[in-house]
Amino acid sequence: MSTDALLALMPLIIMAASAIVVMLAIAIRRDFKIAFHLTLAGLLLTLATLSLAFRHGAMPVTDLLLIDTYSILACALIVASASVVALLCRDYFQRVEHQNEEIFVLLLTAVLGGMILVSSSHFALLFLGLEILSVSLFPMMAHRTSTSLEAGIKYLMLSGVSSAFLLFGMALIYGEFGVLSFRLLAPWAVSHNLFALTGFILILAALSFKLSLTPFHLWTADVYQGAPAPISTLVATVSKAAVFAFLLRFWVFTQAYRSEILVEILALIGAASVLVGNLLALRQTRLKRILAYSSIAHMGYLIIGFVAGSILQTGFLLETTWIYLAAYVLTNLGAFAVVSALSSDERECDDPQTYSALFRNHPWLAGIFMIHLFSLAGIPLTIGFIGKFYVFAASIDAGLWWLAGILVISSGMGIYYYLRVLRLMLLPGVAVTGTATPAMRWILSSLALLILGFGLFPQPLIQVIQSLPKP
Amino acid sequence: MELALFYLSALIALVSTVLVLIQFNTVHALLYLIVSLLASGFIFYLLGAYFAAVLEVIIYAGAIMVLFVFVVMMLNLGQKTIAQEKSWLYPGIWRGPFLLSSLLLLELGYTIAQAASANLGQVVDAKRVGIALFGPYLLAVEAASLLLLAGLVGSYRLGRPLRDKVSP
Repeated sequence: MSTDALLALMPLIIMAASAIVVMLAIAIRRDFKIAFHLTLAGLLLTLATLSLAFRHGAMPVTDLLLIDTYSILACALIVASASVVALLCRDYFQRVEHQNEEIFVLLLTAVLGGMILVSSSHFALLFLGLEILSVSLFPMMAHRTSTSLEAGIKYLMLSGVSSAFLLFGMALIYGEFGVLSFRLLAPWAVSHNLFALTGFILILAALSFKLSLTPFHLWTADVYQGAPAPISTLVATVSKAAVFAFLLRFWVFTQAYRSEILVEILALIGAASVLVGNLLALRQTRLKRILAYSSIAHMGYLIIGFVAGSILQTGFLLETTWIYLAAYVLTNLGAFAVVSALSSDERECDDPQTYSALFRNHPWLAGIFMIHLFSLAGIPLTIGFIGKFYVFAASIDAGLWWLAGILVISSGMGIYYYLRVLRLMLLPGVAVTGTATPAMRWILSSLALLILGFGLFPQPLIQVIQSLPKP
Repeated sequence: MELALFYLSALIALVSTVLVLIQFNTVHALLYLIVSLLASGFIFYLLGAYFAAVLEVIIYAGAIMVLFVFVVMMLNLGQKTIAQEKSWLYPGIWRGPFLLSSLLLLELGYTIAQAASANLGQVVDAKRVGIALFGPYLLAVEAASLLLLAGLVGSYRLGRPLRDKVSP
């Protein structure tokens, strides 16, 4: 392996090393603060090396990994949101002494899994990356209470099922072509091979499990509700961003967008996710369940943008999906962070009783949460609007009028239940005890500012994404 | 003939896996699971992947499954469980797994007797597996080691005693 390849691998190496360092530090002395600071240092160091590697350009590392600007940008998104999650974990888990230091090791390995996933160019590392991600997630979900254990077991079982789908799909494709590298699969899209098509559909199904798209969304609400709030944040942002960034890369590398059948299947999945997510969210009152169903719907919007971009077959695919993904990650990170700031190890801020009267008790947190809700609903001046605008524009450009119609109807439903949460927050009620630490306040305000800032002036974000070469 | 052998062992694998799923008793299910793993090991052997076949038998059917059986049998100790274990191992339960694994043994004997003439595909031995693992797949080995790390830390976290429930 050459020095250049090692340099390109540096962010991954540092991430792996920091997971091991944190584990050793815990083994020597159980100290929550030390573990947290080491974790944050590892994440920030990884971000710094990512910016170094960004200047290096595309670099294949053996046959298995391809580090290019696309994967580096995806890694940066993952690592930056993981840093926020680390901060949430500190505030959530430190309040009671329950020996929660391992959370940080698992957080780092989950991020590493995501980074391997988005950099992979070979089925072997795709599988390993996805497994590292999900094996790290479920012990974090299972935390003391029976609902969180239920969440952990549900996620474990369903990710096992989805791994089986994935492996079966990979086996079918390998059996047909004898290659495991994505690039070498590219000639497939023009041929009409039934085995390969089945394989691709199985792989899409496995990835849909992780993205909680509709026929495979059943775990989402229970897992989000049962898991501790920072871990729900991790699942909603880091895990989904990683899997989606991988899906896009896989899609372009294998040129699967040229297959009409796959595009049609994805269009149906996207439409179903949007409708089901929004319809199920209408009757919910628990905050984390609302956010879970809304994340199903948002993944559906993202897939609709993805389908429209695939039909247009231009740089529009990358632009639409990445702007929507950035909007999704920023907004959900912020919204879950507010929930997490109000919750603690002992009591989740989930019931309507706990978050009603938020405007009276915590006007500042409530204001921040309102901005995030507006962005989730796609109201102008927020980045959520820009993302939704892109998806609309792409689907109309691609002539997908039925999808655009579904988008309009479901966005209307979305506004209803997001604003109902806002109404509950204005009602009189008992005081909630949770407060935000100064670091948390700082992070929450900067997330809200980013949402408003990119909503008013999205040009810098668009330029960064346009400057990406096609993956 | 190789094809017939393959179909027979694949059938054994399928039947024993279905029997794993429909057993009421965990230990009986595990017995069938061992047969299922042996059958898939035999399929590897038929394909010429001797090393993978041996690993499947040693690691899965040998180490991991025996561990499973012991853990399941030792989970709850006491006088009650001894009676329970006796009821698990009533005579007769051995017939199903024995039948299936003796079929596998017959197949194995037949293949070994025919070894000179049989066409068993491309032979992949331990040396080639090692070269592939530490050559082009080096990063995959590293990633697998990190997967094990995550699994280890995760299982420790799930298994740790909760401080407020343990007397100091």
